[in-house]
Amino acid sequence: MCKGMEVKFCLIGMGNVGTSFLKLLKEKRESVRDKFNINTKLVAIFEYDGALINSNGIDLEDLLRDYSNLRNNQYWESNVKVQDLISTLDIDLCIETTPTKPDTGEPALTHILEALKNKIDVVSSNKAPFYLKYDIIKNLANKMNCLVKFEATVASCVPALSIKQNLIGNTITRIRAILNGTNNYILSRMTAEGVSFSVALKEAQELGYAETDPTLDINGYDTAGKLVILSNELLGWSKSIEDVSIKGISKITSHAVELAKLDGFVIKHLAIAENNDLIVEPRLVRRDSPLNVQGTLNVIELQTKYAGSVIMMGKGAGGFEAGAAILNDLISITIERERMIKQKS
Amino acid sequence: MIYLEVKLPDIPGSLIELIKPVSLYGGNIYGVLHHHDKKIYNLIPVDIWFELSEGLIQESLENIKKDLIKKNIKIIKISVDAKNQILTFILTGHVFDTDITDTIKRLDSKNIKVFELHAKFTEVDEISSVMMKVEYPEIMTKVELLNEIEEICKEKKLFIIRS
Repeated sequence: MCKGMEVKFCLIGMGNVGTSFLKLLKEKRESVRDKFNINTKLVAIFEYDGALINSNGIDLEDLLRDYSNLRNNQYWESNVKVQDLISTLDIDLCIETTPTKPDTGEPALTHILEALKNKIDVVSSNKAPFYLKYDIIKNLANKMNCLVKFEATVASCVPALSIKQNLIGNTITRIRAILNGTNNYILSRMTAEGVSFSVALKEAQELGYAETDPTLDINGYDTAGKLVILSNELLGWSKSIEDVSIKGISKITSHAVELAKLDGFVIKHLAIAENNDLIVEPRLVRRDSPLNVQGTLNVIELQTKYAGSVIMMGKGAGGFEAGAAILNDLISITIERERMIKQKS
Repeated sequence: MIYLEVKLPDIPGSLIELIKPVSLYGGNIYGVLHHHDKKIYNLIPVDIWFELSEGLIQESLENIKKDLIKKNIKIIKISVDAKNQILTFILTGHVFDTDITDTIKRLDSKNIKVFELHAKFTEVDEISSVMMKVEYPEIMTKVELLNEIEEICKEKKLFIIRS
């Protein structure tokens, strides 16, 4: 797969996350080479209507100078699909960042499975394939001796999944987390300013924190997907989104928020994995709890047997945040792959 | 409070072996009592009292028991002090319209005592929010308690936010 520490890769989907990742790679390419002895070569970019393919490597400077002009590039091929071409590409790694349907995981799921079938390692920022078909992806990766990483799917570049490596000798007994910045922003505003749910939501939309259609955020589905991935990775469970008991935040009134404050509580939309149960619902949290984070921040509390409560907090969304998580995954997969090759020889 | 009674060999260091797992799994020790006067076959009955974090009591206690068994420490008795537990929750919806007195009485009939109540509403027949604090017996698990509350909430279409 990998020749030395050169990693040849394709990018599927050049939206906000894909483009941010490439910008970040361009900025950090030299330091990645100097620190990790990894040379990255982008050989293909897939979009919904075609692909840019250059086996000698796509020049990132040229590409990012005007990436809206992708389709006028001399290497652009129209109407080609990932599943038709991926087996013909000489690549080590596939980075998947396409916009994906939350109920089917497509088209990302097909892309990921096709890459694995062709013995190509995968990095993805798409949640849906992992909260819907976690076992299928993991089993195929194991069967094909491939590596799959998806740090960006939960809390972006907060190392929510990769912390597992640092807790191997410990035991995680419970996860409690806030995994949706939109909902946390709305509840923070309701608490701080006493505004109603609808006013806080409108404000979040105006600031770009909430989608025009925020249903998947406020009904808890987005959080539930992330909780499934988190618990499967950190607790070794085999759950899918159907296993989560989900309650959203739309029924929270400003009166309820005021009452909570009377007794030193705040209302937070928590994701909880405990006793083999997965729960997403609003909960009363003590004002001085580490889970009481403000604005769009995410927080993950891992209750461990030996270290007590381990807490991670940070920005859970954004193009560069996801891009940084993807770059992290790229580096760690390349290092791991190199180690595996050395072990074999 | 957890009360643990064991028999320890009357040799130096055996008390440390008892205390280690209690401390390891988060036990806050309140007292240790040696019954030297009841020593039989070089085994001394020892009583130890400690507290464990709420929510982790069962799991920690199981781990402590396992470790003590591994160390060949004979456990005579373990008991968890019977005391009432407290839960705070908020109900939103037509809390008054659906007869709040009936809600409280039904909880009471299951030995769940509402001892504090705060309400916020604009009109009694509009959507309101009520914060309740309830006391429930230790023999009742939190899951059982929530099942009782949620059954009422489902029937009265109330939304619960709990601690």
